Amino acid sequence: MKNKNILLLKTLLLSTSWRNVLKYSKDKKKKKQMIGGIVGMTIIFAMIMFYCVMMCVGYGQIGITDAIPAMCAVMISALAFLFTIFKTNGYLFNFKEYDMLMSLPFDAKTIAGDKFLYMYIKSLPWYVSISVSMMIGYGLYADASVLVYPVWIILTFVLPIIPMLLAAFIGFLIAKVSSGFKKTNLVQTILVFIFVIFCFSLRFIIEGIFKTNKVDVVLETVSDATGTIGSYYWPVKWFAGAINGLHISDILLLVGVSLLLFELIFIPVGKSYREINSKLKSHGAAKAYKMTVQKKKSLINTIAFKEFKRMMGSTTYMTNVLIGEILALLVGVISLFVGLDKVITTVLQGAPITKEMLYPAIPLIIYFFIGMVPTTACSPSLEGKNFWIVQSLPIKKEILYRGKMLFNMYLTVPFAVVSTLCLCISAKTPVVNAVLYLIEGVALCAFSTAWGCVCGVKHMRLDWENEVEVVKQGAAVAIYLFPNMFITMGLIVLVVVLGLRMNSNLVTLILILIAAVLALLSYLRVMALARKL
Amino acid sequence: MGMLEIKNYTKIYGEGKKAADDVTLTVESGDIYGFIGHNGAGKSTTIRAVVGVLDFTEGEIYIDGHSVKTEPMECKKVTAYIPDNPDIYENLTGIQYLNFISDVFDISGADRETRIKKYADMFEITEALGDQISSYSHGMKQKVAIISALIHEPKLLVLDEPFVGLDPKATYILKEIMKEMCAKGTAVFFSTHVLDVAEKLCNKVAIIKQGKIIASGTMEELTNGQSLEEVFLEVVDEK
Repeated sequence: MKNKNILLLKTLLLSTSWRNVLKYSKDKKKKKQMIGGIVGMTIIFAMIMFYCVMMCVGYGQIGITDAIPAMCAVMISALAFLFTIFKTNGYLFNFKEYDMLMSLPFDAKTIAGDKFLYMYIKSLPWYVSISVSMMIGYGLYADASVLVYPVWIILTFVLPIIPMLLAAFIGFLIAKVSSGFKKTNLVQTILVFIFVIFCFSLRFIIEGIFKTNKVDVVLETVSDATGTIGSYYWPVKWFAGAINGLHISDILLLVGVSLLLFELIFIPVGKSYREINSKLKSHGAAKAYKMTVQKKKSLINTIAFKEFKRMMGSTTYMTNVLIGEILALLVGVISLFVGLDKVITTVLQGAPITKEMLYPAIPLIIYFFIGMVPTTACSPSLEGKNFWIVQSLPIKKEILYRGKMLFNMYLTVPFAVVSTLCLCISAKTPVVNAVLYLIEGVALCAFSTAWGCVCGVKHMRLDWENEVEVVKQGAAVAIYLFPNMFITMGLIVLVVVLGLRMNSNLVTLILILIAAVLALLSYLRVMALARKL
Repeated sequence: MGMLEIKNYTKIYGEGKKAADDVTLTVESGDIYGFIGHNGAGKSTTIRAVVGVLDFTEGEIYIDGHSVKTEPMECKKVTAYIPDNPDIYENLTGIQYLNFISDVFDISGADRETRIKKYADMFEITEALGDQISSYSHGMKQKVAIISALIHEPKLLVLDEPFVGLDPKATYILKEIMKEMCAKGTAVFFSTHVLDVAEKLCNKVAIIKQGKIIASGTMEELTNGQSLEEVFLEVVDEK
């Protein structure tokens, strides 16, 4: 008998492969969209690789080439951990073909393990692009042995396994705890948020420990810095040791621990797998509803409400789109209570930047979080098999997408306004500035909503097997997310610099104008695309 | 011992609602056992527990003498399940999916070729097997799911509303296949709302209401000269 692990994994990959669609689908539009998606993703990967190479060039030029392997390990580990936390629920639990798979002679551990491996393989292109580009950057400056490169490439495939396993295990614990509650999705989402926020705060806690122990004095040399990171998270130390010193022991430890952890973690997961999925997938009907007064809503608000219910019904969707809003609010509230000066000092590590210099960047800082993933980038694809409902209804497609955009505005604007106000109060900005920042925040929300919708409609994919493919790995989200994030980061720096040379309110006015024009153009594009559907 | 034995099976959801309450029934080899009841009566919950998909609160379920709880793999090896709305991998072609199932059940190349051809010809979808499942109609997907259940020649065939979405010819063929399999000793356990079909096809039947079996037995015992529809309405309204 063929190895069932490999058989299932191969089928899972085949069931979502682009190759299968391009080879067998007779739908030319679908193929065209897929090719567009591949081109878009290639551009994104090229951007990430360029960014990573340039970062290494920076390290090389200031003479800390030896720190690059550790940096690479830290980046990949952090990304793998966070991405997996958001994906575990959709990949390991609550997937739609659960009944089919569980009724076949696979044991629960095989299914859970293969679902994890599938998630790992699907994420690999991201980690490989980061690692290979950093290896190139390292190669430019390090006088490394030829052996380093094959070792680096092999370990690239091993590096994400440990953080992904840890995140999957935490996701399993969250699913286990939340499956005992009636409002499973909500509890799961809240627990994920609590954990993610804890992870973000961990960085500051560790830095706090460093500072009180005056460890920063020790961090004078690069090898000590690497050692310090590695002492907290051993795989970083092993990877750095494997690359910088070609230590066989480090290579074996990284590979061995990854494999051992994989075996260990899926024992408890396998044992509770059916119990958790049973609880997550089955809800007894209360049958206690009594007819009450029903209110009529406007069509556009009905669509927006439908979008709200869609979001609330999925932990994967909710955690991925709401995390930006939650983080923005946290930044605002923390600044309000702790003081913006303290936040700037902590985040910027004592860089000579005052709160006044940051004034024009306030709306962009908030937008960096709020505009991370708009619901409009995912919701067209998330219609999935229910697409026929909206297609068959006697409503214009333009109205449908206006409704989708309205929901994202309902969701983002209040968070943007409250977070911006908190920052303005904390920074003691003049009232005129605050009003301008609020307008800019709303304009940016409008842009994010409309541009997200352009990406969502243009790269709409309805035949997904798992909603993670849309929310986390969809071409629409990736094409929106990365350029938007990089450009926002660039704009934050730009407005701070411009604010030093010209009136900062003028800078804000220009940004409002640009955001409004881009929002309008994107909106018109959505309408044009909707008419073609 | 029956091919399928459900003993005091109870499923309680988190909110305390009993979806299945002390269900006990036995399906022998060669039986075509109909499981009927209103929507939400507990049919699918019971079926999903039988095939090892759903955890349950109390009781025991045995397939071919093996416990679903403690020996799930042994049970699954001899069981085939067709859900009411099969979620099969839509990006695969029909033949890719059938090959996947054949590999899972370790069916040899020659056997799978013969069986796939036999059933695909019967259901008239041979020519569509090279297309992606996503391009199939609901009925065609149902046919692929049925073929996938038949190719490994199970000892127990469990079907949840199998006739929904099938065209009249496919419905007839499926019924004939079920009879043929029973003649060979396979046990068939299926839920349906189509009482006429159940009456003509089944030798045993159980009626479930609010999670409880309210009537069960051989078709003759249960109907006793009446139609199954009359009996069903009578017992459902009565209890």
